[in-house]
Amino acid sequence: MENVKHKKLLVVDDEPEIRQMIDRFLRNEGFSRIFHAASFAEALEVFHTVKPDLAILDVMLPDGDGFSLLSSIRQTSNIPVLFLTARGEDEDRLLGLGLGADDYMVKPFLPRELVLRITAILRRVYAPPQQERYPVFQLGSRLVDLESGIVSNNGDELPLTAKEHALLLKLYENRNRIVTSDALCQAAWGDDYFGYENTLMVHIRRIREKIEVNPSKPEFLLTVRGLGYKLMVRGDE
Amino acid sequence: MRSTARILKRFIGATMLISAFLLVFNFVLIGVWVFNGMNEGGSPTRVVQQVAAGLQAGNQQFALDEVAIELLEQNQAWALLIDDEGQVLWDYHAPENLPDTYSVIDVAKFTKWYLEDYPVFTWEHENGLVVVGYPKDSLVKYQYHLPIQWVGTLPLKIFALLIINLVVGLLLSLIIGYKLVRSIRPLTEGIQALGEDQEVFIEPKGILQDLAQNINRVASLLRQKNLRLKERDEARSNWIAGISHDIRTPLSMILGYSSAWEENPTLPEEQRKEAGIIRRHAENLRSLVNDLNLVSMLEYEMQPLQKRQLRLAALVRQVATEFLNNGLDEQFSLEIATLDERAQVEGDERLLKRAITNLIQNSMNHNPEGCTITLQVSVQEEYGTCRLTVEDNGKGIPENKIPELLELPYSSKRKQSQRSGHGLGLPMVARIAKAHQGHFILDSDTGKGVKAEIVLPTKNSDSTKTV
Repeated sequence: MENVKHKKLLVVDDEPEIRQMIDRFLRNEGFSRIFHAASFAEALEVFHTVKPDLAILDVMLPDGDGFSLLSSIRQTSNIPVLFLTARGEDEDRLLGLGLGADDYMVKPFLPRELVLRITAILRRVYAPPQQERYPVFQLGSRLVDLESGIVSNNGDELPLTAKEHALLLKLYENRNRIVTSDALCQAAWGDDYFGYENTLMVHIRRIREKIEVNPSKPEFLLTVRGLGYKLMVRGDE
Repeated sequence: MRSTARILKRFIGATMLISAFLLVFNFVLIGVWVFNGMNEGGSPTRVVQQVAAGLQAGNQQFALDEVAIELLEQNQAWALLIDDEGQVLWDYHAPENLPDTYSVIDVAKFTKWYLEDYPVFTWEHENGLVVVGYPKDSLVKYQYHLPIQWVGTLPLKIFALLIINLVVGLLLSLIIGYKLVRSIRPLTEGIQALGEDQEVFIEPKGILQDLAQNINRVASLLRQKNLRLKERDEARSNWIAGISHDIRTPLSMILGYSSAWEENPTLPEEQRKEAGIIRRHAENLRSLVNDLNLVSMLEYEMQPLQKRQLRLAALVRQVATEFLNNGLDEQFSLEIATLDERAQVEGDERLLKRAITNLIQNSMNHNPEGCTITLQVSVQEEYGTCRLTVEDNGKGIPENKIPELLELPYSSKRKQSQRSGHGLGLPMVARIAKAHQGHFILDSDTGKGVKAEIVLPTKNSDSTKTV
């Protein structure tokens, strides 16, 4: 993952101080190849000469707007783009993302958040293609292996059904946090999930039978009354 | 349309009343005139009667008494006495050119018509026939001959005449009234449309064209005013959006560098704390700017809603979960009462979630020493609405302070400054509810806790499954 820091970044903003600040934060985080542009025309020029790996675009530029700049870039390149704008309106956000931007941030922003998002985008786009692996984690004495879809308990192997797998994955991704029953239903049954609440309860009970020592007194998969469920995973994060 | 029918009815009634009155009036007037005209200067029949009575035969001489002479003088009339043979026995100021003898035929003729163009009248006398003549061209003589049958049916005929009059009058007033109403109809429609704030133009024609022009003028005036108001609202909203935009860039610098200092391990602890304070206040300022912008957009109806079908129960669960996952201070507890899964609305997910968040946040801000916040979603099928309730058991708000809490801060209707928060939270909720064709109810009193309700029109999707 070290190569992420060697990527070329293009920062387009008409405020030199903003550019300078972003530049400093990125350098602090280990990025070194940072290029600046203060206008639409300059950005296009730098884009063609430098060929950056990611662009941070301001929406309002003195000689054009970031949206058309993105359209121009998209004619020749598919590099990831993050909008950083002082315009917070919903329409702009949708327009930006609709045009194929990878992210949209509104000023004022926290530098740490900006760096995290840029790193995330770079990882997603430039990481070497690898098989997506499902997590394997320990719940008390039992090992939940979502990769093979099996819960093992002292040599006993309990296979998980597809729905149970989807629910456990969603719960694990949000471990130690409440997941609403709506989000769980959506994870298991898709967007048209309305009406599956009772079925969800049945599936949760079956999961508990596999992962809990005492399913009627759950330790790991807790019910949050009226809201949803919470998977407690210790010693993580 | 009911009003035009009423106008027509009234109009016809009035015209019928007027024509009936005129008819009676004319009858009376004509009667009086005819009667008076016939009797002007005494009727000729009475004069000739008087003369016949006043003419006395003396010895070879006839004498007319004073009264008869007076009458004749008054009418500038003359008199003759003709005997049975047709000889003139006596005369009084008879014209020279009159013959001295008259045949039966002559008598018959002038009795009915004229004697040498003099209108004459006759009466019987013991010595013959008295003839009284009036000056030429002073009187007209008419003879009436009416069939008995005709005279017999006369009352019926008069009655029929009245009926015909009535019908014709009714018909005429109907036609005129209908025309009038037809010319009024565009005007009434125009005024109605004006009240409903629609575009109005009435073709100015007919008898009411002045009125039509006036209505058109009022309509265009209103249109201009509305346009100006909208322009002003737009300008105000754009102004606030512009200021928000201009604040965001410098705020980026403040937030950026203060948070960088806060996380810089090489700086002394004290300075990092101070940087943290700056960072926190910059974040407050950021949320203020965002909220100000959102409220102003809602206030001037410039906020585009990203509407889609939403289930209120799911929204409430999502917001409550976010609060719990982000760590609720231990003095607060969030309870979920019944959430009616049928409650579906068409709305902007982000705005509605914002409204719920504001209500929960508001309860927490008002009760820093802690409270229990209960969330509920219910459906009122009879009103076609659903209701989202956020209730706390905290110290409450004095009842008389509630209306001003929904006004924008610093407006003339809201005098007290807010102690906690920037005071935009509740006005924002009220405006979000309004933008969804719903309304916001705040119910509280000191010691009673706060009950906040958002009432929204239900919008069921066709694919709703009944569970």
